[in-house]
Amino acid sequence: MVDRIEGIGPVFPEKLSKSKGKGNFADILKQAIDRVNELQKKAEKLTDDFAEGRISNIHEVIIEAEKASLALRLTVEVRNRIVEAYRDIMRMQI
Amino acid sequence: MMNEFSIMNISATGMSAQRLRLDIISTNIANAETTRTSRGEPYRRKVPIFAEYLKRSANGIMECVGVKVVRIWEDPSPFKLVYDPSHPDADENGYVRMPNVNIVREMVDLISAQRAYEANVSAFNVTKSMINSALQIGRG
Repeated sequence: MVDRIEGIGPVFPEKLSKSKGKGNFADILKQAIDRVNELQKKAEKLTDDFAEGRISNIHEVIIEAEKASLALRLTVEVRNRIVEAYRDIMRMQI
Repeated sequence: MMNEFSIMNISATGMSAQRLRLDIISTNIANAETTRTSRGEPYRRKVPIFAEYLKRSANGIMECVGVKVVRIWEDPSPFKLVYDPSHPDADENGYVRMPNVNIVREMVDLISAQRAYEANVSAFNVTKSMINSALQIGRG
């Protein structure tokens, strides 16, 4: 009924593990991705709860799934912008 | 990001409230002929009382984050008297006290609950399409 969205674990993991500094871009990005991941897990848990009859309000499940899907789209959008910026720099003539 | 999602939570509280209202209206309709309850009187019509749901935000201001049901009120209006001497719950004059549920009114409330639920769904959809258009910024 609710399209399950695949987890986004493997989105540039090697880049994230390299930098250890505080408040830098990679950390912020990692936090944001963790938050998106949490939303995905929450939506998945609610879907399971609903299937097992622990939730009677179907809209809660759908809304959680929508939140997770929007957060993922935002992440993908941010990733696309980053890749675009990287390509712009690589294309630069020196 | 969390802010947009809090709008979604507001719509969710509205939907939950209307869902509960639907439950209560269904109970009223189901018990429209109930003459016996645990209190020894006929069934009384029940009405949910809604209140704004306030929460203290991060900067200490009380803000409204939706709606909540504070209690379920019982309609104190008098019971209907129906003449039916053969009924086991009839009094010495042959009158039976029937619940103060007006089925027509309950049907109207039912439609009202349905529309209110739909309105909350619309508000949710508008929020979603606003977020989607925000994601489109700079693409065109």
